[in-house]
Amino acid sequence: MTTRRSFLKTAGALSAGVATVGTVATACAVKDPTASNATGQGNDAERVRGFDRVLLDAVATAVLPASLGVPAIRTATDAFVAWADGYEPVAEEMHGYGYADVRYLPADPSPAWRAQLMALDLLAHRHGTNGFSTLPLAKQQELLGAVLRDQRGDRLPAPLGATHIAVALLAQWSSGPDAWDRALGARVAPGVCRTLADATHKPLPVTPTKTATVRTEPHA
Amino acid sequence: MITHSADIVIVGSGITAALMAASLAEKTTKSILVVEAGKPTTPFADRVKARERWRAYGESPWKQDHLDDQNATGNTWGFSPSMNVGGLAMHWGGVSPRYSPEDFTLRSMYGVGSDWPFSYDDLDPFYQEAEERMGVAGEQGPVSLDPRGKPYPLPPLPINYNLAQLQQWATKVGIATWSTPSAKNSVQHDGRAQCQRCDTCYPICPTGAKYSPDFTWDALVARKRITLVTETLVRKLEADPKTGRITRATGNRTNALGEEVTIEGGTFVLAAGFVWSPHLLLLSKSRVFPNGLANRSGLVGKYLAGHRNVNAYLRLPMELFPGINVQHSLVSKQFMRVPRSSRYLRHDLRIWESSVGREPRLRGDDGSIQFGDALMEDWQQRAKGATARVRGYYDVLPDKESALSLSAEKTNRFGDPMPNVSFRDAPESAALKEWQEEQLRDLFRMMAKAGGGEILRMENSANDLGQEHPVGGCRMGTDPTQSVVDAHGRAHDHENLWVAGAPAQPTASCCNGTLTFVAVGLRTAAAIAGAAG
Repeated sequence: MTTRRSFLKTAGALSAGVATVGTVATACAVKDPTASNATGQGNDAERVRGFDRVLLDAVATAVLPASLGVPAIRTATDAFVAWADGYEPVAEEMHGYGYADVRYLPADPSPAWRAQLMALDLLAHRHGTNGFSTLPLAKQQELLGAVLRDQRGDRLPAPLGATHIAVALLAQWSSGPDAWDRALGARVAPGVCRTLADATHKPLPVTPTKTATVRTEPHA
Repeated sequence: MITHSADIVIVGSGITAALMAASLAEKTTKSILVVEAGKPTTPFADRVKARERWRAYGESPWKQDHLDDQNATGNTWGFSPSMNVGGLAMHWGGVSPRYSPEDFTLRSMYGVGSDWPFSYDDLDPFYQEAEERMGVAGEQGPVSLDPRGKPYPLPPLPINYNLAQLQQWATKVGIATWSTPSAKNSVQHDGRAQCQRCDTCYPICPTGAKYSPDFTWDALVARKRITLVTETLVRKLEADPKTGRITRATGNRTNALGEEVTIEGGTFVLAAGFVWSPHLLLLSKSRVFPNGLANRSGLVGKYLAGHRNVNAYLRLPMELFPGINVQHSLVSKQFMRVPRSSRYLRHDLRIWESSVGREPRLRGDDGSIQFGDALMEDWQQRAKGATARVRGYYDVLPDKESALSLSAEKTNRFGDPMPNVSFRDAPESAALKEWQEEQLRDLFRMMAKAGGGEILRMENSANDLGQEHPVGGCRMGTDPTQSVVDAHGRAHDHENLWVAGAPAQPTASCCNGTLTFVAVGLRTAAAIAGAAG
């Protein structure tokens, strides 16, 4: 018997596959765009993972706070890649108080995000440069600002709901306890399991860290 | 054909069923069989990982926790399709307030709704038993607002830094608040860990500090004190046409084979919640009982009750640090113990820390896109100060036709019509609704103003979705023409059939209901044990 659940899971997987083929002309030809052995002979049913890391690093440097420092930006970018790779399309959402029907998470957003990275590169070429990652930081931010001009601005979406990879990266980073602590200036660590007794104390201030040198010149 | 038999047969394995089984296992020597349509869900050892994936992606941490074709339609807010060992309480929030004494005497005190067939004082020992079995951490509020016979079994969850600031504000406004009672271990208890404020009580506690029914089932099964039969859907109860006694339950396995199952028993207990308990009675119609079982009054499935809320976010001139323990709150019963007045309004009050209005954003005040340190600096400015969330549940008096019925369109794999749920306010409640909600908004405006703050936004429950912490469908009472079960949960029409917990309740008060569902169930368990001798 084909249940609604199995049908939706199948439909979701098909949708994700179509997105892979239809929106990322080159991604369908590789299993991992960042892998050295990507040959273009991958199984269509296998999920493509990863991102063009040079382009993604350039986007991360453009959108994340420079005051985090290079290592922390790198860590945040690694975390984003791991998060995107770990996503299971069309898994069941939490049901519970609120609605009786069973709902499912969306198709894999990564194919569209990969395409957006490539589109940034194409856009840079249109502006007569060698590619997005080689642009000066200010120019990268200008291009991203133009690309994101229609984005909602009053708050960041949940990462899965982000319609552009730059916003997804920002949203995924800012949902973490380190980002919140930096914003609050205090060691709260939201969402981290901690001892109960400490809850009564005013959180300690975040220890100031020496700001690491941040690249302001384009990649070589 | 698979057959089972036991002295006491419990249908359902949710929180009320679990704690009733624990009580019966101690109070009788009778054999106890528990029948659950679903399977065990995510085992304890997998819950840390399940929590991580819920936080990362919103993925349900509870695997195999429902049956695709066994679900309700209609106004189902407050209902969960959970059909697994432990039921919905595998993912409840653990909030465990008692109702107030007035809830049991609404008609006598206020001239609205219905009186219960017993008083708060009658239920007090069973509240205590429920709190002790679950391990509720709490502090008694002012005795006039929060009467109880004995202290809470566990010390309260601490008033954390944020809540301490908010409590000072509430006190200044004239509202007495205290730590919300919760079935979460404030200290190690019953072999389970102390709370580590992971802040995912709903939907999943990774440490076991929050009580969930699987702990009770595991213990009872290990002691061989009960038999837990899973993946078995009871589809019909059969009654002796002459005596009315329930003779057996019949159904099918919910696995791929779907074998027929017969369960014989001396006593049958429906502990399957406000949907599936009346649903089974309606399904059990026969030539002799054409309207279903226990339905001489025609009230099976009727008088579904619950509550709605008004919710608000307030910006306050103080310094809070969102994330210290977001799911813990302050509570007040000040507005549940109100004097008789010309217009009826009773509500609870909860106060939480909140991060609303303090999140990062993509555009600055001038509307332009911001990145990097500009975004961070904007966020740091926004993160200063404080947001409080306040919410009041107000009770909704049920209409007789606030009802569960059998769907004409939707059936399960066996062809059984599924339940359709339609909540409806009693006319007296409908007439008060707008005024009641405006009173709550006025209270929140007053609270904001008195604290030197402002309202960020206010919102109501959506009217057409249903009601929260729902009850009813097999209401209790002393008059067999006006109720389905007696004051102990025994069906007026069938001396060996009992309905436990939420479905038996006449009303749903104006606070979280689970503790009361369990206490009412434990009162029923005591009566069953007494009847069993």
